[in-house]
Amino acid sequence: MTTVPVPSPALTVGRQGNYAGAVSRLAAFAADVGASWGLYTLGVALLNAALKLATGHSFTLSNHQLAAFIVLTLWEFLYFTYQWAVSGKTLGMAILGLQVVTRAGAPISGRQAVFRTVGLGITLFLTLGIGFLGIVYQRDRRALNDYIAGTAVVYDWDARAARLRWIARKEGPAGTAAPQEHII
Amino acid sequence: MSPNPIGNRVEQLAQSLAEHIVPMIVDAIDIDSIIDKVDVEKIIERVDVDKIVERVDVDQIIERVDVQKIIDRVDVQQIIERVDINAIVDKIDIDSLVEQTELGSIIARSTTGVLTEVLDVIRAQGVGLDDFILRWGNRLIGRGKKVRHWPAGPPLLVGPKAIAPT
Repeated sequence: MTTVPVPSPALTVGRQGNYAGAVSRLAAFAADVGASWGLYTLGVALLNAALKLATGHSFTLSNHQLAAFIVLTLWEFLYFTYQWAVSGKTLGMAILGLQVVTRAGAPISGRQAVFRTVGLGITLFLTLGIGFLGIVYQRDRRALNDYIAGTAVVYDWDARAARLRWIARKEGPAGTAAPQEHII
Repeated sequence: MSPNPIGNRVEQLAQSLAEHIVPMIVDAIDIDSIIDKVDVEKIIERVDVDKIVERVDVDQIIERVDVQKIIDRVDVQQIIERVDINAIVDKIDIDSLVEQTELGSIIARSTTGVLTEVLDVIRAQGVGLDDFILRWGNRLIGRGKKVRHWPAGPPLLVGPKAIAPT
């Protein structure tokens, strides 16, 4: 069990629309990698089962490494591009309360989503992650893939509602004092 | 009948005269010009409304009023359409309202599950760590003070001059 202190009001109010920092973005990316890998594995297993039912032969994608690499690359490209194009956020970003917007703060276009995904690959593999340092050292907390796509990442979660919940928890039901820490 | 026959005749004569003369006089009077001359404001000023109100039995009036009929005539939908809910909501200081009432616990019970609360905590922790990394990362390269003057967010979302709260 981990003991996590309640969020401080100073942290949870008035941050909507602010540039998101490195930790939130890294956590969101980790969640996305986990989710996309999980879905990929599930998809491959389902495909395998369907092929076995239809043809009677078992098909293992990992035995065809080039095909597996191409399928995985395409899947990752679709996973990120589609979600960014549709809502400006991936599953991991939704969990962490982040959103991709244009440099000015408007919703991004499909073209920007494509560029951002390609830029993500470049930042990860060609610069070996050095391109992400911009999140800490640039005025507008933009990584290399943000510069390629003309985007920025902001906090999008309803911090005001969180503040209300925090007050509510502090008050507790019917005026009873609630504990100052939550155990998760 | 009058006991005095002369008086009776005079009375009849006066009546018949009046029947002829009064309509002639009424026709001759220009009512509009009289109304034009009347200073309504002065009349209103002279009226002691308080005295009139004191004499009015409000309870009796209320008893006579058919409230149901009035309600039936009111177009609630039209009234609702006229109300600017956003303007009303903007005027409410929700934070202070919640702090003063038990609305907070109602909100907590009705709108949050454990998952939402856990998400709140994780996100808030993330924001705290983001600030920490930004501050210390830049302090390490001697830019700690500059960070304070960096913009808080994109101009469309936070305004062009908003400064980061680190």
